[in-house]
Amino acid sequence: MTARGTPSRFLKSVLQNGVGRYVCQLKRISIIFSKKGQGSLGIRDFIEEGVVDYAKKNPTTVVYVSPQPCRIPKIVAEYMNGTVREEIVTNKTSPQISELLAKMTNQSGLDIIRIRKPFHTDSPSIQGQWHPFTNRPPSIDPIRPKKEDSQ
Amino acid sequence: MVFLSLSCWIRNRGPDRYWKVQEVLKHARHFRGRKNRCYSLAVLAVRRAFVYATKARRFKKRNMRTLWITRIAAASREHGMKYPALMHNLTKTSVQLNRRVICDLAITEPRSFLSLAKLARARQQEGLRAALGDGKEPPGVLSRVVVLQ
Amino acid sequence: MSSFSRSAQQWATFARSWFLIDARMQPPGRIATMCAVRLQGKHKPIYHALSDIGDHVVVINTRHIAFSGNKWEQKVYSSHSGFPGGFKQVTAAQLHQKDPKAIVKLAVYGMLPRNLLRRTMMQRLHIFPDDELPDDIRANLTEELPQPREIPRKLSEYTQEEIDAFPRLWTPPEDFRMK
Repeated sequence: MTARGTPSRFLKSVLQNGVGRYVCQLKRISIIFSKKGQGSLGIRDFIEEGVVDYAKKNPTTVVYVSPQPCRIPKIVAEYMNGTVREEIVTNKTSPQISELLAKMTNQSGLDIIRIRKPFHTDSPSIQGQWHPFTNRPPSIDPIRPKKEDSQ
Repeated sequence: MVFLSLSCWIRNRGPDRYWKVQEVLKHARHFRGRKNRCYSLAVLAVRRAFVYATKARRFKKRNMRTLWITRIAAASREHGMKYPALMHNLTKTSVQLNRRVICDLAITEPRSFLSLAKLARARQQEGLRAALGDGKEPPGVLSRVVVLQ
Repeated sequence: MSSFSRSAQQWATFARSWFLIDARMQPPGRIATMCAVRLQGKHKPIYHALSDIGDHVVVINTRHIAFSGNKWEQKVYSSHSGFPGGFKQVTAAQLHQKDPKAIVKLAVYGMLPRNLLRRTMMQRLHIFPDDELPDDIRANLTEELPQPREIPRKLSEYTQEEIDAFPRLWTPPEDFRMK
């Protein structure tokens, strides 16, 4: 894979100046499944067993359960930053789906692409970044060089 | 048949060659000229690009290190030291910072870098004094080095 | 994390300085190394080859540069115009006679990297044959760089006490005839 051909981003957090810390970024989950379809067997199991527990455990997340005549059952997750992520859960068993949901809950909603640098900080410098006058002796009249005046 | 992903399942239907071409063109879409749409040109360019990418993974480390060294050399020159002297004396004083960190310090924390430079300078002077001994010439040897110091 | 203070920090970090170098009685090659480092920005810890952070360098008194050895006569500057018979060779003395800025300029140009930024860096080099500077350039100057070579003094510039105090290996006898 070439570096220019693949999308990339810089490492980022969803801290939002500290306000976003410990806030679950997943806002809404819609479980779309079929009442009769064979592929939706596992998700129907999950709705029977685990979805209420999940909703109780995550009070900040809205859970929609919408039965539709569809072949491919899926979970659509919407995050606080507007990302919408679809996961297809055809032929998945109930524990697999709850695992998937746990993963989606813990995600931040940022794009899952190559990260250019594995380190990042919002405040890189405490002492103030280097600039041309950092290590220059402070002089009162820096503009006029000494020799010019004497000549 | 079992398909692990949706795209594989879609591929199952169409003509084979179309998908084969798309697999290559996928990597060539950002190329310039006809390379980004003509298969016969794209396949060569993509192959070359992958070769470059493979080599570049090694070169990247090398280039980054040279960049750090250039930057550290520039920063240490500001404090009147040369790069080899700085690094040598820092290792002597068992400062186990690598070049990346020292370079970051030089840019973002110039005062910390200044203290590192002072530390290296002190170690250098110490080494010089130790090499010169107590300032006396050994018997029978006449040298000017000691006198100049 | 306020944005305005950060941008001010950026301006400070990437500010261009103007350096002054006095080339009186200096070897042009050593002047040129100082210039080339500063034109490329290699004296800054934020250096990157692509970020164009070179500074301006003002070189004055290029008329009074000092080559060592026999370079004035034997150093040859060659050029070819591209036409048949267009090959020209001039010695350093002839070139200096024609254009007192040329030697320093060519020396710096040869020391810069061969890339597209080379011409841009050369535009930041200001050469003056004498110590007269235009006011707009003089107003920009931030720092004068120390000269790489200590200017040697002529015998006429030494005072009599200094000449007398100079250590002598040997005192000529009274009847010694100087050749």
